[in-house]
Amino acid sequence: MLITGIKSKPVYTPLAPDVVGHTHLLVGFGVGGDPLLRLVSELAGSGSTRSSRQLYYVSDPALTPASTSAIESADAGVIKLYTDTQALLTDFRATLEQSIMGTRLYVAGPEAFMGLVMRIAAEFNLNRDEIRAEECGSQARRVHCIHCRAQTENVRTNIVKCVGCQRWLVVRDHYSKRLAAYMGVNIDAEVPGELPPIQEVFV
Amino acid sequence: MSHSNTIQVIVSAIHQVTPLIKHFVLRAADGNPLPAFSGGSHIIVVMRGGNRVYRNPYSLLSSPNELESYEIGVRRGDPSRGGSVFMHDQVHVGMTLEIAHPVNLFQRDKLARKHVLLAGGIGITPFIAMMEDLRSGAVPYELHYSVRAPEHAAFKDRLTERHGDRVTLYYDSAKQFMDIEGLLARQPLGTHVYVCGPAPMIERVIQSARAAGWAESHIHWEQFNAPPVGEAFDVELAKSGITVTVPPDQSLLEAIEGAGVDAPYLCRGGVCGACKTKVVAVDGTLVHHDHYLSADEKASGAFIMPCVSRATGTKLVLDL
Repeated sequence: MLITGIKSKPVYTPLAPDVVGHTHLLVGFGVGGDPLLRLVSELAGSGSTRSSRQLYYVSDPALTPASTSAIESADAGVIKLYTDTQALLTDFRATLEQSIMGTRLYVAGPEAFMGLVMRIAAEFNLNRDEIRAEECGSQARRVHCIHCRAQTENVRTNIVKCVGCQRWLVVRDHYSKRLAAYMGVNIDAEVPGELPPIQEVFV
Repeated sequence: MSHSNTIQVIVSAIHQVTPLIKHFVLRAADGNPLPAFSGGSHIIVVMRGGNRVYRNPYSLLSSPNELESYEIGVRRGDPSRGGSVFMHDQVHVGMTLEIAHPVNLFQRDKLARKHVLLAGGIGITPFIAMMEDLRSGAVPYELHYSVRAPEHAAFKDRLTERHGDRVTLYYDSAKQFMDIEGLLARQPLGTHVYVCGPAPMIERVIQSARAAGWAESHIHWEQFNAPPVGEAFDVELAKSGITVTVPPDQSLLEAIEGAGVDAPYLCRGGVCGACKTKVVAVDGTLVHHDHYLSADEKASGAFIMPCVSRATGTKLVLDL
């Protein structure tokens, strides 16, 4: 990576129950199912009778159906499975509209997915001490072009061509929670076409 | 960060608003507008009474949109250390007072989706200014204000005129009590609770919010501890090379200031952390009264908050 060490790069930690909360919303994508299943049983075992669990999950076609069926039989009052992230986000937003103080959010999956979930959570003023997130799966980035504002999805390389304005962008560690994306800045403005080596860095 | 730059103000009006609370209106002595502030801010009023200087924090209750004057409400303290009694008995219209610039240690959360304000007695004052800020916004808010009896409900008319049914009053005398647990049980996501009032009320609100699952970032409180009285003790100021006696009815900070040493402070109530001072040596016990140091820091004996805390024993050396 060319531009690193920027403080806005999110830091994620393994999910653990926050038993102060009474309503636990678990939201995941693909391999994020594993930490969520682990968490569900930890929450169920933590013993508080008035606590409830809701699980929202987007299955990844690349995973075997077995993981999906494990989610379906998880120990949660509400279990919703999706094949499409947008459908999950719509339901998640509707859930937050109805939620009350004492709710905790747990997110697991690739960062590009978690960013979309946490951006909605921020609209509801869920703060850092109400959200826990564990990164797993692809590290591919969503890159926001600071020139044309188009977002290029699934970026695996240090340098990428913007889907909007076709400029070559260097991917910075500068992350925007509001945009749920990393900033991409034109890298060959002075000598068009003169680029450092393009490498796959976000696997 | 001590307030060497104070502002001279003239007391332009005084109203006795309840049997115990006086309302003071202050204007800048130079006739200029006073510094801008946000709701929840307090000022320090410097009172020179005889051979003693009092510096007490008071929340600003006037509108942050009107800087021609500041308004404060002062409750006469029961066994007062002198500051509030001075304000009640010695301060008259036309008198000049010295104040420090406003500081806000009780800000509203600007991303909140709802504000629930809980006041007990004189704890109403920061909310009066805060609600002026909230009034012009789109975020819902409600005030629950508890007092002993109707005649103690300071600024009630101002509040109900400006905020209508967003204000709920509770009179102990009529056996009306705030249902704190009930209030906090079903609030929408993104609600923030703010409490200012007697210590047991603050404690109950904090505990109830936690019991209802609220995360700490949504719980806000302000309490200015008057510096508790105690035994006299001596303090040696290592950098200044002097030793000062702290009398029973003076705070450590006041004694240090009395000796001419400019020590840092902001809230003078044990909450903000500005006066945190390194303890070089102590032969005896530190008596911590602040809400700032962690339990571990208090136990370590490495730091003290001179605005409210004291010491017992034969020797205390501070890094001042």
